[in-house]
Amino acid sequence: MELRRKLEILADAAKYDASCASSGSRRERAVGGIGNTEGMGICHSYTPDGRCISLLKLLLTNVCIWDCSYCINRKSSDVKRARFTPEEVVRLTINFYKRNYIEGLFLSSGIIRSADYTMEQLVLVAKKLREEENFGGYIHLKAAPGASKEVLLEAGKYADRLSANIEMPVQTDLDQLAPEKTLKEIEGTMADVKSGIDDAKDRGAKSTFARAGQSTQLVVGASASTDTTILTKAESLYKKFMLRRVYYSAFSPAQFTDPNLPQEKTPPMREHRLYEADWLIRNYGFKAHEVTEGLDGGNLDLEHDPKLAWALRHRGLFPVDVNRASKSLLLRIPGIGVRNVDRIIKTRRFRRITLEDLARLHVTLSRAKWFIITADHNPDVFKLDRAALPSLFRRRDGQIPLFAAPAGLTTAVTGEI
Amino acid sequence: MQHVNIDNTFESWRFAARDLLSKRIAPDGVIWTAGAQGRLFESPETTKDLKPTLSVPKQFLRLAKFVACYNDAERWPLLYRLLYRLVFEERHLLEIESDGDVRDVNAMAKAVRRDIHKFHAFVRFRRIDCDGEEIYGAWHEPQHFCVELATPFFERRFGEMKFSIFTPKGCAHWDRKNLAFSPPADKTKAPAADEMEDFWLLYYRSIYNPFRLKINAMKREFPVRHWRTLPEAVLIPELIREAKY
Repeated sequence: MELRRKLEILADAAKYDASCASSGSRRERAVGGIGNTEGMGICHSYTPDGRCISLLKLLLTNVCIWDCSYCINRKSSDVKRARFTPEEVVRLTINFYKRNYIEGLFLSSGIIRSADYTMEQLVLVAKKLREEENFGGYIHLKAAPGASKEVLLEAGKYADRLSANIEMPVQTDLDQLAPEKTLKEIEGTMADVKSGIDDAKDRGAKSTFARAGQSTQLVVGASASTDTTILTKAESLYKKFMLRRVYYSAFSPAQFTDPNLPQEKTPPMREHRLYEADWLIRNYGFKAHEVTEGLDGGNLDLEHDPKLAWALRHRGLFPVDVNRASKSLLLRIPGIGVRNVDRIIKTRRFRRITLEDLARLHVTLSRAKWFIITADHNPDVFKLDRAALPSLFRRRDGQIPLFAAPAGLTTAVTGEI
Repeated sequence: MQHVNIDNTFESWRFAARDLLSKRIAPDGVIWTAGAQGRLFESPETTKDLKPTLSVPKQFLRLAKFVACYNDAERWPLLYRLLYRLVFEERHLLEIESDGDVRDVNAMAKAVRRDIHKFHAFVRFRRIDCDGEEIYGAWHEPQHFCVELATPFFERRFGEMKFSIFTPKGCAHWDRKNLAFSPPADKTKAPAADEMEDFWLLYYRSIYNPFRLKINAMKREFPVRHWRTLPEAVLIPELIREAKY
């Protein structure tokens, strides 16, 4: 098969993995080599689906012996199949990299023969890139669930990031949709990767085992599991395996005919709200149970972002005095992000903060003003206890307002970098 | 009213600012005019004789280096006003981020940093065969005067490749030994597409998911003004038309 055709099939097959992060790793260019990573990820392009292109994201092959019903590449799917040789992937990666199209490679694969054999094939590509091409760019390898610890440890030597996808938050979902997979096996793979990372840390700064850590992905909306179940699982994965990221991928049934799958498309807003809630758990000191308590039907409010929804449920804790409140309490105010909390704390050492000061800091006052006390008179805070307050956040055009993520963090919220 | 004419470089501004500061001339009393854009950080001989004057926070100099690249003549009087206030009025001024001058200077520095980041992201090298030798060229259109701050990145990353980056704000050339800078170029310097560009466009098309469409999310990080220098951007209209709901 012609290389162009393979690229078409195997890039198309790889797009369901949301991760494209290229940050968190550092590697200087080797003498005579090409490429480095400087810690900060770079998105080299963006497609109209709102996702960034940071890495060349490919499957080595979309042939798969497994039959996960939510996956386009499952054994019983009638998609066109193809397989790259390791040399083809290496050539494409180097040629793309030299033109500054990409930060590196994200290589995944369908399961061929066995998890171990598949993993060995991925490692082979990474090894060629590092040892034959002296490539210093970013490499993300998929960790096949159930692969032996030896091959995973080998993978981590060459890769900046490894990811084993958990796919579903509970075993009963997997039983129904992905009969070959078990949570126990997937989490075992995560544990092996974690032990590789921990050992490397013990050995000191020179070791380079998966410097950008590990991540995972969940499919949202293919099973009946609620956001509460999903976020509770995500929180436990962050804790147990020190994951850098959990990605959420909204299920779209258009390409699937399995009667066990829902026929409705998962609302993109549901995926977005999960990223926001995840963001609160990782960066704002929220616990999963705080974000999910009292939710109607166990799912996040599509109309209000999870921070605003939490504040509306806990109006008794407000208003918060921005000139006195602790950092953890400032972080709970809707419309004020992490960066602005730091700015407020710095600024208030020298002057008493007014509404105008907050506006100059680019605080989203339309959301924050109901919940705060400032040095000057804030008339809106008297409306805090009104029954109609939640409806005031609805936009006039009927569109649902998005989370008040500070500028520059938006891609982080939607899960790209 | 004092009239100060500088040649649009950080060093030139710094030289003038030191002089004004030593005479304690208030910012309101200065009219700044600037000549053509020169090399931003090249130190002219004159500055070397200058004795260090009043001490300013390191943070100011770090910030000023970026602000000096900002594409607006307002940056010079703003930098002087901030410097004057730092030295004579409020040493902690930079920590008061709600202050109007601090906010403006931070916004300019942020815009320049973003422009540098986009420079790193959106330069597209094309291979040019030059008497059998492989060299790479790129045409890029930065918004600010950041060629000198942005291009060492490419040297670190592509040190084994000879390359030139042409822009309307100045050009950079790496011959595997030295990074050299030259005056602005026009679009005729843009190299022609090479044999990999087809593969790149094919990849762009294939990795796009037509079942989701988030045009605003794309535009926020992928400003339309950059599209004309990015080969893949020609596909955007047809990919949007192909979106499936």
